[in-house]
Amino acid sequence: MKKLLGVALGILTAIGGFLDIGDLVTNAVVGSRFGLSLAWVVVVGVIGICLFASMSGRVAAVSGRATFEIIRERLGPRAAGANLTASFLINLLTLTAEVGGIALALQLASSVEPRLWIPVAAFALWLVVWRTKFSTMENVTGLVGLTLVVFAVAVFLLGPDWSELADQAFSPTVPAGEGHAVYWYYAIALFGAAMTPYEVFFFSSGAVEEKWTVKDLAQSRLNVLVGFPFGGVLSVAIAACAAIVFLPAGIEVSSLSQIVLPVALAGGKLALAVVIVGIVAATFGAALETSLSSGYTLAQFMGWSWGKFRRPAQAARFHLTMIVCILVAVGVLMTSVDPIKITEFSVVFSAIALPLTYLPILIVANDPEYMGKHVNGRVTNALALVYLVIIVTASVAAIPLMIATGAGS
Amino acid sequence: MSLPPDEHPPGLVLDARLHLLDRQVLDVDGVPVCTVDDLEVHGVDGSDLPDGSQTAVVTSLLSGAVLATRVFGGRPPSSRLHRIRWTHVADVGTTVALGVHGDSLDVTWTERWIRDRVIGRLPGGRHDPG
Amino acid sequence: MILGDVLDAPVRGPADEPLGYVVDVRLVLDGPLDGTLAAPRLHGLLVSPRTGTSFLGYERTGVRSPALLARWLRWRHRGTFLVNWSDVEAVAPGAVRLREGYRRYSPDLPGRPSQRPDLHRAT
Repeated sequence: MKKLLGVALGILTAIGGFLDIGDLVTNAVVGSRFGLSLAWVVVVGVIGICLFASMSGRVAAVSGRATFEIIRERLGPRAAGANLTASFLINLLTLTAEVGGIALALQLASSVEPRLWIPVAAFALWLVVWRTKFSTMENVTGLVGLTLVVFAVAVFLLGPDWSELADQAFSPTVPAGEGHAVYWYYAIALFGAAMTPYEVFFFSSGAVEEKWTVKDLAQSRLNVLVGFPFGGVLSVAIAACAAIVFLPAGIEVSSLSQIVLPVALAGGKLALAVVIVGIVAATFGAALETSLSSGYTLAQFMGWSWGKFRRPAQAARFHLTMIVCILVAVGVLMTSVDPIKITEFSVVFSAIALPLTYLPILIVANDPEYMGKHVNGRVTNALALVYLVIIVTASVAAIPLMIATGAGS
Repeated sequence: MSLPPDEHPPGLVLDARLHLLDRQVLDVDGVPVCTVDDLEVHGVDGSDLPDGSQTAVVTSLLSGAVLATRVFGGRPPSSRLHRIRWTHVADVGTTVALGVHGDSLDVTWTERWIRDRVIGRLPGGRHDPG
Repeated sequence: MILGDVLDAPVRGPADEPLGYVVDVRLVLDGPLDGTLAAPRLHGLLVSPRTGTSFLGYERTGVRSPALLARWLRWRHRGTFLVNWSDVEAVAPGAVRLREGYRRYSPDLPGRPSQRPDLHRAT
């Protein structure tokens, strides 16, 4: 019974932990402009993150080595250093966007200006990073984040034209008034939002934090393979909400209040309250994951002592890195930049940085020196190679498309 | 064009880049110390620039400033190298294990400095999380 | 010297002809005992005629998967050879010269990784 509870808890936190500000914003923007005609990208992205997250989790559980240690070991200091620079900056950008997202959600709830909420949110973030146990942190944010299920409920309450939605999703076409380049630009953004590298850094380091061993492999695979696809369903539900409410009116989503409007229309004040709680939990959870990932990536690259399972004084440089990153995020947000805009850029830059992260994971997952008999099977490798081609293509195409479309405008 | 195989040396064979460089170094308690950023080599007669006329052996693992020069080129002066003597290495696998405490080593001075000046002074910094 | 002096350095033959780049240095743990382990002895240099960057070990280990990736990386490093340390005439930071009559050996690591229980503590 206790075991069953553990399994359920793992899956539920994986669902709640899947969504972050990147998924919220990108899916809502895409839904309002392209309907469900890009839903297939979420499917492709979710399969990809399942594949690589479970691979990195398996490497961490079997060998005890987290992803960035492996990146450094396989790529050497130059290529890994380039990857570190890119990943660290993107991670910082994402952290900034998440903290901004918390403040925006709290503003919706309180009408207090986000700039007053930002320092509060950042301090709360640091307290959790500093003092809370890893598993408590994971479970609480994941479970509360589950309230985002209201997006799926709202789709039903809005009573959409189902055949129309199905048509958009299953025979995707570029809507009139949108160019092909913009369509593909947003395809890459959605792909980047689903496959953000920090999830893999966090997931593999989390496996080390929670001291997974080969015995935990089945549970971790189940969490990922069940939890993430449900997270993907919620992503599509967010896009569907925006598609139902905004697409016919020709309104493009550009603020958090617009993202939650369909839920309020469908379920009234109560649903609105629930969705705000969900967004605060999801962005707070993701802000924790990105803060920790900034510490994980740098510490693992440099070989420093790291981990929340240690006292802060025994991972001093790791904790200092996170403090500095949180302060930088606060500083950037205090200049009144729009967190939604930051989010839109961070997901595209994520897509650009993907290959340098996923290639070393794939190689080490095949190395018997690390993995013994737990090396990748043929099916996993075949699928991973297909994804490597997709990842490289998206990465190469992202910048030209960004320039050609003026970042999707 | 197949090349003749090398004679089979009796000891464990390690390719420096493949098996040693950039690997994590753990101390006797399994705490991360640093990465292997480079290796220092001496001739058995102690010469600093051996050639093939004499046996050469690895004497120290290097970490710290030497990482920057591996990325950007150049070479730090010998006095600036942070060494871990090979004597302290207890085992080589997917990580390099030392037989000593990390705190006793030169390479961890930044960790100790930040612990003593910053992190250890913040409330709760020296307590277990939870 | 430090290994960084030798890694990626261009290699020239006795007549000053360019042969390629040092992609790795082969060490054997059979030097004089130093602490609990034998000191790693410089056994030889791995020289690739094409590119300065080592590529993830595929050119030297028995790892064959994922097949496409392994094949491509091996192809990039075709022609890689091992020279013994005793065939190295001179080393200066950033340059290596081989002596007259040096011999090329296969770069393969003796024993496939699966036959090396010493590196299998993970399982």
